[in-house]
Amino acid sequence: MAENQKQNYLTHPKGIMSWLLTLDHKRIGLMYLFGGIAFFFLGGVLALGMRLELAAPGNDFVSNDTYNNMYTLHGAIMIFLFIIPAIPGALGNILLPLMLGAKDVAFPRLNLASFYIYTVGALFVMYTIISGGVDTGWTFYTPYSTTSTSNVIPMTMGIFVIGFSSILTGLNFIATIHKMRIPGLTWYKLPLFVWALYGTSLVQITATPVIAITMVLLILERLLGIGIFDPALGGDPVLYQHFFWFYSHPAVYIMILPAFGIISEIIPVHSRKKVWGYKFIAFSTLSIAFIGFLVWGHHMFTSGQSVFSQIVFSFITYFVGIPTGVKIFSWMLTMYKGQVSFTPPMLYALSFLFLFTIGGLTGIFLGAVALDIHLHDTYFVVAHFHYVMQGGTIIAFLGGLHHWWPKSMGTMYNQTVANICCLGVFLGFNGTFFPQFLLGLRGMPRRYATYDQQYAELHNYSSFWSGILGLSIFISIMNLLWSLRKNNKLDPGTNPWGGMTLEWTHTTSPPHPHNFEEEPVLEHGPYDYDKVIVEPTFKK
Amino acid sequence: MSHDNSSPKFLQHHFHDVEQQYETAKLGMWAFILTEVLTFGGLFVAYVVYRSWYPEMFVGANLLLDVNKGLLNTIVLITSSLTMVLAVWAIQKKNQKLSLFMLIATFLFAFMFLGIKYLEYSHKFEVGQLPGEYYSYMGPEIAHLNNPHIFFSIYFIMTGLHGLHVAIGMGLIAWLIYATAKGNLNSEYYTPMEMIGIFWHLVDLIWIYLFPLFYLI
Amino acid sequence: MSEHHITPLKTYLAVAGTLFFLTAVTVWVSYFDFGSFNIVIAMGVATLKASIVALFFMHLLWDDKKNLTMFVMSLMFLGIFITVTLLDTGFRGGVNSEVESPINNRAAFYDSLPLTDTHGHPVDEHSADHHGEDEDHH
Repeated sequence: MAENQKQNYLTHPKGIMSWLLTLDHKRIGLMYLFGGIAFFFLGGVLALGMRLELAAPGNDFVSNDTYNNMYTLHGAIMIFLFIIPAIPGALGNILLPLMLGAKDVAFPRLNLASFYIYTVGALFVMYTIISGGVDTGWTFYTPYSTTSTSNVIPMTMGIFVIGFSSILTGLNFIATIHKMRIPGLTWYKLPLFVWALYGTSLVQITATPVIAITMVLLILERLLGIGIFDPALGGDPVLYQHFFWFYSHPAVYIMILPAFGIISEIIPVHSRKKVWGYKFIAFSTLSIAFIGFLVWGHHMFTSGQSVFSQIVFSFITYFVGIPTGVKIFSWMLTMYKGQVSFTPPMLYALSFLFLFTIGGLTGIFLGAVALDIHLHDTYFVVAHFHYVMQGGTIIAFLGGLHHWWPKSMGTMYNQTVANICCLGVFLGFNGTFFPQFLLGLRGMPRRYATYDQQYAELHNYSSFWSGILGLSIFISIMNLLWSLRKNNKLDPGTNPWGGMTLEWTHTTSPPHPHNFEEEPVLEHGPYDYDKVIVEPTFKK
Repeated sequence: MSHDNSSPKFLQHHFHDVEQQYETAKLGMWAFILTEVLTFGGLFVAYVVYRSWYPEMFVGANLLLDVNKGLLNTIVLITSSLTMVLAVWAIQKKNQKLSLFMLIATFLFAFMFLGIKYLEYSHKFEVGQLPGEYYSYMGPEIAHLNNPHIFFSIYFIMTGLHGLHVAIGMGLIAWLIYATAKGNLNSEYYTPMEMIGIFWHLVDLIWIYLFPLFYLI
Repeated sequence: MSEHHITPLKTYLAVAGTLFFLTAVTVWVSYFDFGSFNIVIAMGVATLKASIVALFFMHLLWDDKKNLTMFVMSLMFLGIFITVTLLDTGFRGGVNSEVESPINNRAAFYDSLPLTDTHGHPVDEHSADHHGEDEDHH
C-alpha cells in the first residue's frame, strides 16, 4: 500500500517559498493550471452573463455599453489568459521533461519568469476590469480602439506583457525538445504530444512578437497620435488588421495544436493500439504551423483590402484544412480494431473528434470569400470558433486533465461522475452553439446585446443549454478537485490506463521532484501496443 | 576542461555536461533572436507599406536627417561589434585583462551611440520634426510633401526601439564587465559573454538596415 | 569548452575592415541616383554587411546548422509578412477606383501650421522684409 510512499514533487520541498520560488517544471505547471482554470471560470461567468442577457430580446439585464465590455473581456480573458497559456503552460510544463526523460526544461529560471510575467499581465487585465473595462472587442480594431474612452491602454499593456510569457515558454520548449532527450529517443520515437508542443512553440516564438509590436503601435497611436492607423492623419486602419491577424491567426494554431497532441496521446492508450500514421500526424503538425502564417487575411474579407489579396488568402485557406483532415483520419484509423475503453479521457476525445470536425468544416465554409461576405460578423462565425476553441481545445484540455490527473496528482477521480459530466458538456455545448450557426445564417450579428423578435427562439435554446454546459464543466472540475481529499491516494506505481510513454512507465504517480531515480533507458516506442504488453494497474 | 572529477560549479543540475548546457544556451539565444527579428520586422512592414504609398515623402524627408551623424553612429556600432567579438576571443585565449578592456570599450562605444542619437533627437525636438500630431516643422525643403509626420513617426519608433535595445545592451555589458572583473567569467566558462555578444551583434545588424533606409535613400 | 572553434584574430579584423569598406560604399553610392534601383542597391549592400556579421561575428558559419536555420526562417517569415501585406496595400482600388485615390492626400492639420525656416522658427509670410534664409548644414 503505502510502504514506498516516497517524497513526490507535491510534498517536497515544503513551504510556501519553495512553491513561489520553485524551479521545478511540475510545480510551475500546476501554478499555470490553477491560474488558467481560475481565468477560465472568470471568462465563463462573463459568458453566462452574456447568454443570460441574450435569452430574450431587449436589454433585460445590462445596457449596450456594459454588454460591449462583457464580450470584450470574455474574449480577451479566454484567449490570452486561458487558452493560449493553459495547455502548453500547464500540461506542457508538467509533462514535457517527463516524456523526454529529462530532469527539467532547458531553462528552469526562464520558466518561472514566464509564469510571473503571465501573472503581471493578468494583473493589468484585472485592473482594466475594475477601472471601467474596455469595449472595443478583443480585436481592438482601429479607429475605434484609438478613440474609445474605455481603458484600452491597460488592457493592451496586459496583452503585451502576456505575450512575453508565451514567447519564453515556446523558447524553453524548443530548446528542451532539441537538446534534452535521452539517448535513443529519436524524433520518430517521441510521443506525439511532444511534436504538438514543438509545432506550437515554433508558432509562439514566430508570431507573438508581432502582436507585441502591434500593441505598442496601438498604444503609441492613442498616446501620441503617430498617425499610422488614422485616416485623418494619412494612415491606414486596415494596416492595423494586417498586423493584428498576422499574430492572431497563427494564435489559433497555438490554441489547437496542443489539443491535437492530447488527442494523439489519449486515443492510442485508451484503444490499446499503435497510432496509425505517426509520421502523418507529426508532419501535419508542422504543415499546419507553417501554412497558418499565410492565411491571416481571411479574417479581413470585409475590411476593404484589395480583391487580389482576398483571392490569395481564400485560396491558401483551403489548404490549411488538409493536414487537419489527415489527423482526423489517422485518429479514426488508430481506433479501428483497437480495444476501445469508454473512460472519461476517451469520451472527451470522441467528443473532440465530432465537435472539432464540425468546427473545422465550418471554417472552410467561411474561407470562401463569397460566403464570408454574408457571414462575417454574424453568429455563424461565433459558432464556428466556439466549436473549434471550446469543442476542440477545451474539450481536449478536459480530456487531458482526466487522462494525466492520476499521474500528476496521484489520485483518481470518480469516473462515473466524470463520464456524466462529459455527456453534459457534449449536449450542453451542442445545444448552446449549434443554434448559433442557424442564427448567423439568418443574419443575427455578433456583439449585439439585443435583437429582433425573429431570433428569440434560437437564442432562448442557446441560453438554456449554456447553463447545462456551464454546470457540467463546473462539476467536472470539482470532481477532479474532490479526488484530492485525504486518504484517497493511489499507489505510486499506478498506471491506470496502461500508457507506454516515459511519464507512465518510468515515474511514480505523482513524480519524484527530480522526475527519475536514474535516467531512463528507452526500451520501446511510445505506442508499441503490438509488440509490448503494458497492463493498466490501478491500486490504492 | 575541469581538472577534477566533480562537475564544475557552473554546470546546472539538469544538464549532463557542459557541452549540452552551452549548446542549449546558444539554441535558446537564437530562438530569442528570431523573436527580435519578428518584432523589428513588424516595424519594417510599416516602413515598406508607407514607403510604397508615399515614396516622395521618404525621399524628401530623409534630407532632413543628418547623414554625418548617422554615418558616425554606423561606424561606432560596427567598432563596438568588433570590440565585443574580441572580448570573447580574448577570454577564449585566456587573456582576462584584454577581454575586460574590450568589454569596457564596447560599453563606451554604445554610450557614444546613444550620445549622438540624443543630439539628433534634441535637434528634431527643437525644430518640431516630431511624430504624428505633434509635428510642426514646415521648412522650405519639405513644403511640397504631403505627410512628413508619418516618416518621422516611423523614424522615431524604429530608432527609438533600436536605441532602447542599445541601452538594454549596455546594461547587459555592464554586468559582463562586473562578472569578468570578478573572475566569474573566464576561459572555462564564458557562455553569457558569448550570448550577450550575439544580442549585441543583432543590435548592430538592425542598425545596418536602419541607416540606409532612413538616412541614405 | 576547449573544443570550441576559436576564430582567428585576422578573420575578425578582416570582417570589420570589410564592414567599414561596405559602409563607405553605401554612402558613396547614395550620392548617385539610380532611380528605383537605389533601394535595391542599398538593401543589397546592407544584406551583404548583415550576412558577414551573422556568419562571422555571430559565428553561424561554424555553429550547429540549427542556429542558422532558425535565423533564416525568421527572415523568411518576415518576408512573408511584408510581401503578403503588400499584396493588399499595393492593389487597393481593384473594385472601387475611389479607394485608389483618396480624397485628401494630406492630413488636415497641416492647413493650420505656419511655414517655418530651417531652424523651425515660424516665418511671417506677410511681412514686407524677410530675413535671409541661412544655408544651414546641421
